[in-house]
Amino acid sequence: MDFAFTEEQQFFKKIITDTVDRMVVPRAREIDEKDEFPWELWKEFTRLGYLGLRYPEEIGGMNADPVTAMIFYEQIARGSVGFAQSVIMNILMGTYFVYRFGSQAIKERCLYPAMRGEKIATMCFTEDQSGSDLAATRTTAVKDGNEWVINGTKMWITNGPHADIATVLATTDPSLGAKGLNFFLVEKGTPGFSPGQILDKLGCRGTVTGELVFDNVRIPEENLLGAELNKGVEYLAEILDEVRVMTAAMAMGIAQAAYDEGLEYAKKRIAFGKPIGTYQLIRAKFADMATEMEASRLLIYSAAWKIKEKLPSRLEAAMAKMFATETCLKVVDEVTRIWGANAFANEYNPQRHFRDARFLLYGGGTHEILKDFMGRMLIGK
Amino acid sequence: MDIIVLVKQVPDPEALVEIGASGKDLNIEPKFAVNLFDEFALEEALRIKEKHGGKVKALSLGGPKAMEALRTAIAMGADEAVLIEDDAYAARDGYSTALALFKALEKETFDIILTGRQAIDADRGEVPQMVSQMLGLPHVGVVVKLDISDGKAEAVSSLEGAKEVVEVALPAVFTAQKGLNEPRVPLITGVMKAMKVQIPKLTIEDLGLTKDMAAPENSKTQIVRYLPPKKRPAVQLIPGEAREAAAEAVRILVDIERVI
Amino acid sequence: MGKVLVFVETKGDEPRKASLELLCEAEKLAASGKFSVEAVCFGAMSDVLKGRLLSCVRRLVRFTDPELAAYSPEGYARALAGYAAETGARMIVAGATGIGRDFLPRVAVMLGTGMVSDVTGANWFDEPMTFVRPMFGGKVFAEVAFPASPVVVTARPNSFAMDIPEGVNGEYEEKAAGSLGGAIHTRVVRVEETKGDAVDLTEADLIVAGGRGLKAAENFKLIEDLAAAIGGTVGATRSVVDAKWRDQADQIGKSGKTVSPKLYIGAGISGAIHHIMGMDTSKVVLAVNRDPNAIIFNYANYGIVGDLFEVLPAMTEEIRKRKERG
Repeated sequence: MDFAFTEEQQFFKKIITDTVDRMVVPRAREIDEKDEFPWELWKEFTRLGYLGLRYPEEIGGMNADPVTAMIFYEQIARGSVGFAQSVIMNILMGTYFVYRFGSQAIKERCLYPAMRGEKIATMCFTEDQSGSDLAATRTTAVKDGNEWVINGTKMWITNGPHADIATVLATTDPSLGAKGLNFFLVEKGTPGFSPGQILDKLGCRGTVTGELVFDNVRIPEENLLGAELNKGVEYLAEILDEVRVMTAAMAMGIAQAAYDEGLEYAKKRIAFGKPIGTYQLIRAKFADMATEMEASRLLIYSAAWKIKEKLPSRLEAAMAKMFATETCLKVVDEVTRIWGANAFANEYNPQRHFRDARFLLYGGGTHEILKDFMGRMLIGK
Repeated sequence: MDIIVLVKQVPDPEALVEIGASGKDLNIEPKFAVNLFDEFALEEALRIKEKHGGKVKALSLGGPKAMEALRTAIAMGADEAVLIEDDAYAARDGYSTALALFKALEKETFDIILTGRQAIDADRGEVPQMVSQMLGLPHVGVVVKLDISDGKAEAVSSLEGAKEVVEVALPAVFTAQKGLNEPRVPLITGVMKAMKVQIPKLTIEDLGLTKDMAAPENSKTQIVRYLPPKKRPAVQLIPGEAREAAAEAVRILVDIERVI
Repeated sequence: MGKVLVFVETKGDEPRKASLELLCEAEKLAASGKFSVEAVCFGAMSDVLKGRLLSCVRRLVRFTDPELAAYSPEGYARALAGYAAETGARMIVAGATGIGRDFLPRVAVMLGTGMVSDVTGANWFDEPMTFVRPMFGGKVFAEVAFPASPVVVTARPNSFAMDIPEGVNGEYEEKAAGSLGGAIHTRVVRVEETKGDAVDLTEADLIVAGGRGLKAAENFKLIEDLAAAIGGTVGATRSVVDAKWRDQADQIGKSGKTVSPKLYIGAGISGAIHHIMGMDTSKVVLAVNRDPNAIIFNYANYGIVGDLFEVLPAMTEEIRKRKERG
């Protein structure tokens, strides 16, 4: 057994940590307060080339293995989860199917610019009445000659209102349930494709999330992102584990940011003549937080390693997502207790971490869904 | 312009430093960084290269961990890096460090040597000048601006606060001060190159030196033990309204502490 | 008897404070009978300055070479090392000023020896001599033995007591190092910005520093007024310098200047570790901050929990009143 990052991964961690400290951390509060897409930071950061993290070097990517990618997701979320959400959408879900199934022309028009940050990508799963239950998807795709016609409304779409390219989940036949699902590429400017309502969110602010409306949107045949029709759910399975572990890594990023604030405060804040960190009840909080964060990271990085080694990872990825996110929720809560009333002041960071942490409950499956799923895997149907 | 940048891997400025039980060693939290002032040197070297062509080579003396500083240099855009791997020379004193760097530099060709004005761990600020002297080269210290043209440099030196514009023919040594530039954030292409690059290592013997030249008993100076900083007594808060407290503070500083 | 050379920097009619402190310390060594002490000066010297120095040191040597009129690391090093070699000096000391720290390392190499920089304490009579110097920005101090010879040391300003000796009436000699011209490869072509008469932060006895709590660049007037009233120098934190409220030369801290004045007054400064590392060797610290939990209070001898916009002007006024009263 070997639990260590390689020298290369350690070096990558050091560089991305410094980069986030320099570029993202100083802007996190402003991003949260304004709740606007941070264009300036986007331009500066994407110029560095990280959006091609997962893709081959031949097309300008970094070809990072899943372990290295998790290091990145964790650090960028430590800086600002709102910014991280936008960045990761371009890196993973927003471009995966374009990379996997797009024609060369589509790649040149959509993928490569998205890897450079020139186009903003999104992935549209969720609808008003469907989220974790994908089979309930009502957005339809109907073949008309050599075109597909998309109709429906998507909700909770990260980067949605600014998206240049959208990977849209739609059904060719609602009666087929999960077996009728496919991914389609819709580009900005296509008639009938328009942003709807923008959501005012509790946390993860700065990534713009909203509704996307598809009203008789006609796209060419080649925009079907799949080798075969109605295999969308199988294709989704290719990145599902990675998405779940990524969410767990983001949770650790938030947890670490909160923990660091808590640690500094516990050393600095004096009560009854001594720093509060010298009191046993506060020390106990750190012991618990550090232990659970370590346990989360073991789940995250061992699941990432399994994905890298192409070993079965469905259960482990779900465990990592659930455990790390729950740990994150505990940590941000404990830190608000360590900070006392100061945690309630918008002037300081703990309240932001407290709000941001809750965002991770939903993506990659709610914990209720995940527990049921894991239970079925463990006990059988 | 061929430029050599001397870089040092140092404990992070925020790392905890504690004195070991024997008083003869330090327990330093294992968080590392490229010496801040060396980053300015590196950035300046890259800017000179971008303007005038040539290559940038980073050179470091240290233990295996110093590799990370050299990888950072490559990530930022340095063309080559070399590590003189030797903990003893790196840990001894300014003279030993300068000697090892000098021996390595003697074999190199270059127009410019750039390095930080001091390393933020030992805080000596001796090595660049010692290396310059050993090489028989001029140096300009604490540089906040550097212009290169026609085989010479115009450097703004801020040794004593005032800014002196110093002209010097190349080759020469320059020590970087904060304000010289804003070091770049590495691009991912640089990071990838840095992750893969094989950085050559030199031993102290390769340089014609021997281990015992840096042995404690042979070094010019040696650290005997470490001492904690003096503890300040607990703060005495001066009570009262602003005006009242201000008057009392002045009284204490003038009459009791006698510092004004 | 070991010969000690004290390199003396001057400014107008005055020796620089770091040099004067070392002369006072060296006179104690001379008085012990174990060392003979000479002060070494380069460049112009007025009669006033000469008189001043000769009352502190038993022998003063001035090098008259025109090449030494302005500072150059190579010229200064060559002249000082040459004289040290000629006289068989046991020890060469200088203030850890910008210039001292810049050229003494070259002197050490010329003499085939090492050096100890920026010392804050010395045991001159130990064999070998030992010195104390800060490392890691003052987080720890090292006691350093110096078995090699000669001993080359720079001493941090404000580290040795300035006990002006009495009854000293030194001898004076002028010398020329000769043939320095070919040795100097740097040339000062112009000075872009002089600091005027304000004492450099690293040498200042009294410092008034301001942080973010001042809220705007123009409010530094309050800091400047108090500094002027006590004859001190203005300092600033990194965030203030980053915000371009003050020049980088005013920055105290890890990436700025390390100071150890007799008095440091910090107002509107929370006490970020970077700043603390640059000032926590100050002798007396007074902190003014609205926030009773500001870290700076942990590093202060005295604290006022209050509004700096009221406290600073009140202090300035109080000092002026006291001055008027004499």
